[in-house]
Amino acid sequence: MSIQKVAVIGAGVMGAGIAAHIANAGVPVYLLDRVDDDNPNRNHIADAAIAKLLKTEPAAFMHPNNARLVTPSNVEDHLHWLKEVDWVIEAVIENPDIKRALYHQLEGVCRADTLISSNTSTLPLKLLSQGLPDSFKQRFLITHFFNPPRYMRLLELVSDKTINPNLLTTLHDFADVHLGKGCVDCHDTPGFIANRIGTFWIQSGLLSAIELDITIEQADALMTAVGIPKTGIFGLLDLIGLDLIPHVLASFKQLLPTTDAFHQFGTAPALLQRMISEGYTGRKGKGGFYRLQPLEGRRIKESINLQTGEYQTSVKPAGLKLPKSQAELRQWLSQDDALSRYAWRVLSSTLAYSASLIPEIADDINAIDKAMRLGYNWQHGPFELLDMLGLDWFVGRLTAENQAIPTLLNNRKALYTINAGEKTFVDLAGGYHPIPKAEGVLLLADIKLKSPAILSNPSASLWDIGDGVACLEFHSKMNTLDKDSLNLIRQSIDKVKTEFAALVIHNDAENFSAGANLGLLLQAIHSNDWPAVTELITQGQQTYLQLKYSPFPVVGAPSGLALGGGCEVLLHCDAIQAHAELYIGLVETGVGLIPGWGGCKEYLYRWLHFSKRPGGPMPAIAQAFETIAMAKVSKSAADAKQMLFLSITDGISMNKDRLLADAKAKALALLPGYTPAQPYSYSLPGASAEAALDMAITTLRLAGKITDYDVTIAKQLAGVLSGGGCDIAEPLTESDLLALELKAFLYLVQQPGTLAKLEYMLIR
Amino acid sequence: MNNVVIAGYCRSPFTPAHKGQLAKVRPDDLVAQVIKGLIHDTGVDPDDIEDLILGCAFPEGEQGLNLARLVVHLAGLPISVAGTTINRFCGSSMQAIHNAAGAIQMNAGEVFICAGIESMSRIPMGGFNPLPHPKLYKDYPQAYISMGETAENLALHYAIKREAQEIFALSSQQKACTAQSTGLFADEIIPVTAPDGSIIQQDGCLRPDSTLVALANLAPAFLTNGSVTAGTSSPLTDGAAAVLVCTETYADDHGLDKLARIKSIAVSACPPEIMGIGPVLASQKALQRAGLTLQDIDIVELNEAFAAQTLAVLHDLPIPLDKLNLDGGAIALGHPLGASGARITGKAASLLKREGKQFALATQCIGGGQGIATVLEAI
Repeated sequence: MSIQKVAVIGAGVMGAGIAAHIANAGVPVYLLDRVDDDNPNRNHIADAAIAKLLKTEPAAFMHPNNARLVTPSNVEDHLHWLKEVDWVIEAVIENPDIKRALYHQLEGVCRADTLISSNTSTLPLKLLSQGLPDSFKQRFLITHFFNPPRYMRLLELVSDKTINPNLLTTLHDFADVHLGKGCVDCHDTPGFIANRIGTFWIQSGLLSAIELDITIEQADALMTAVGIPKTGIFGLLDLIGLDLIPHVLASFKQLLPTTDAFHQFGTAPALLQRMISEGYTGRKGKGGFYRLQPLEGRRIKESINLQTGEYQTSVKPAGLKLPKSQAELRQWLSQDDALSRYAWRVLSSTLAYSASLIPEIADDINAIDKAMRLGYNWQHGPFELLDMLGLDWFVGRLTAENQAIPTLLNNRKALYTINAGEKTFVDLAGGYHPIPKAEGVLLLADIKLKSPAILSNPSASLWDIGDGVACLEFHSKMNTLDKDSLNLIRQSIDKVKTEFAALVIHNDAENFSAGANLGLLLQAIHSNDWPAVTELITQGQQTYLQLKYSPFPVVGAPSGLALGGGCEVLLHCDAIQAHAELYIGLVETGVGLIPGWGGCKEYLYRWLHFSKRPGGPMPAIAQAFETIAMAKVSKSAADAKQMLFLSITDGISMNKDRLLADAKAKALALLPGYTPAQPYSYSLPGASAEAALDMAITTLRLAGKITDYDVTIAKQLAGVLSGGGCDIAEPLTESDLLALELKAFLYLVQQPGTLAKLEYMLIR
Repeated sequence: MNNVVIAGYCRSPFTPAHKGQLAKVRPDDLVAQVIKGLIHDTGVDPDDIEDLILGCAFPEGEQGLNLARLVVHLAGLPISVAGTTINRFCGSSMQAIHNAAGAIQMNAGEVFICAGIESMSRIPMGGFNPLPHPKLYKDYPQAYISMGETAENLALHYAIKREAQEIFALSSQQKACTAQSTGLFADEIIPVTAPDGSIIQQDGCLRPDSTLVALANLAPAFLTNGSVTAGTSSPLTDGAAAVLVCTETYADDHGLDKLARIKSIAVSACPPEIMGIGPVLASQKALQRAGLTLQDIDIVELNEAFAAQTLAVLHDLPIPLDKLNLDGGAIALGHPLGASGARITGKAASLLKREGKQFALATQCIGGGQGIATVLEAI
């Protein structure tokens, strides 16, 4: 069985968001809700939900066209459609009676092998399936998505022994491969894994900050430094909505035994209650712990003083950098100052609580760490954090403070170890087990445990990923590209020529590459070192050309941001296998430059050879001009295809953990009979096209849509894309285009306007 | 001299480019349906047609090749009907009428279809491949000036305030809405069938909810501190129009319904940067050739490219407002470039008949700095 069609019942925020993400996977989905008796359109609620999805920011759909896969419907007229679907997701109000009544209806309508799941975040499975026949229970489970469903990778699954294992496998595979989710099997306990620990952590952080007189900026800076998560606690509360908290706390209070440590942090502070009653519910309301207040045409960030409850101008604490070494970190956490005491209290209580929940909420620590990473965007899970602190020290300090020691921590063994190049985790009895991996999952992090890099320098490395394929990894800060990166690309080309069959360019980081290292460029500008700029540009152009004409397949495998020089390297690959969340663009104009490493040349080529564009040279030039001049960035990999950063044959992987394996497979598929790219020429209209673009630039300037300096940048870009002073009857070579890029780049770097933009960007 | 008459006029609905109902209709299909409607409504024998003269401002892409000859086939006209596509930008289809009138005077045919077409959804204004002459652009950039800028130039030169433009635009909207709600367009609109089978039969550009307050809130469209807005400009539009032009003798012999006689025609030129003033000289020339003065004219169809442009023309050519664009103008109805000339000439002819008046003037400004005018008289 496979999942070809899905239905979601309940078009609220979660139900609609889940439906959108299923459409993102290319799977048709019915979105059902009740009939609104006050509206003649019987599908009004589902229709309105889809319309809202199309306006949601961040976007729920990876491409607006995906909305066509969502069919609005209602439970009164269309329930019989559900016999066509393979999976029904119930996302109605959290009321067990209403849910069970619906399940009885579904039992009568759906095929026997149709999966039925609930998206409940609080209700136990046993309560939901109470009184339902075994024929229902054998295909029923909880599938708990996190908000927003497109972006949050965690999917918590709760099932019991009665479920048909084949159906469960089908669901796992679909969620993993097609929805890109990290599935975590949870036990049937309140809040499952992520919300159980996440709520405890939020409450601990909130109440301790009030008690220890820590400002919300300090608290958030601390959590950001720890990496759990980037927003910090108060930023996260504003994001999820303050009004949700009392409901969640009430639910836990009711469901958890009084002995559960949750209850020590189980009450919402009066301040939170007051804020909610006054409409300060977070970003969706008037503001939350932070708010933006208009003042003389600007917006001033303010924050709540936790002691007085009044807003005041937000003061960003000096950058908080936690010590990197274990010893220094321990020392910092032992200091007798308010922030260290706060950090210790929140971390120790949360980590100890997490450890106490094995085996209650999950079989093992790996499940909990994965859930917190994927569901709460923690950089490290609680047990990974515990290993960073060291169990001996942590347990010793808990003991000194007369705190209870969770069973899991009693034997004080490391929670994770590397065994024969494989990461293993500890169980309650002290035994170690390899972390389970689904077939088709290949992570560079795992490769690194097995063998050393083939080549390496501070900015990039080359790894052997097996089957004759090498992987080039960028690993500088934000994966910006510098001379070291370019050097390693050239060295990798030589290496792959003799020792491998194909090359993949990929890294596990959040972002593929933020572009060229502008700091180096700025140094050269400050010292008027134009030969250095020329060398940097020429070196990049020649390196990327070598990559393009190398005698083996090169596949780019980006995820997250791929900007500027990061985009240009991908444009020179034979093929791209992209993660669905790809934000790619040639954004150089934003810092007063134009793409100089062959980006103009390659992107123009893609438009010139796009068969669906109108004829003649100008449509291609105009499209490339508009995208580059406006520094447009794709909103997803699907959007990148529409913008021609990706070609029609490039692949998209929904699950980031599968990206490297998919890219490797793509590289191997290109191998039989591989012939390197052949040089091509450009027939461009030269001065006529430049005049046409100049007309458009002038019109935009007159209408006040661009600045005088934007005009300067746009004119340089227009000169490159038009082919300089060439005649359409005399085709240009790639080298001609690269020379035009270099000339325009050198002109712009010598302008004060570009210097100002670069300095602003780097200081910001 | 052969008397030349207009013996039929019709048009498609006019709908906004990109978001309107005609956006997915090919321009050749659109104008072919309108021509079929004209043949049906006039009852002319298609075998008698000498030529299809088709105006189009951007004759490329789906409007490319010799569109007129291809439309002959699409409209089901006999193989014997010739076709020529002509371009005088916004004046293209009025020029088509002028060409037919000239041919008739030369005894080069008796019956002509003069049509116009523009799908501004499917062929961008400026065309897909604008490639200006670099030296001309450098030495005389106004040859390529944008239309919005020319309207701002006139507003400045004639000191036309933004409020005056908005009052004029609102009046155009109100006249058009009244005409639409009282069914005055029913006789001239040919329902168009879209590729999905839907029937489009109503104009889509009109803004019945337009108010002076709403107009005052719009941002300038072309100059940062300018006075011309989207609300006081004609919208980008998809549409087609056609008129039947023949000798008066032919119309009489075949019992066709004569709307008006063409009395005189003229074109003129002016500096491109004030192209909107083009109708002044063209109208003066046409009136002089007709032996008439402006005071003799009862009905005027003046194409409203912009409110500022129309008001500038009215400054030099004082047409009483109660004679001007009785059923609204292009600001409200839309301005599909190649089709507007046939619409306003056909409209002026049919208004002469509807209103029982003697003389009419149809005139337009033309991008690049030109004007075109036609004087009609009742029969």
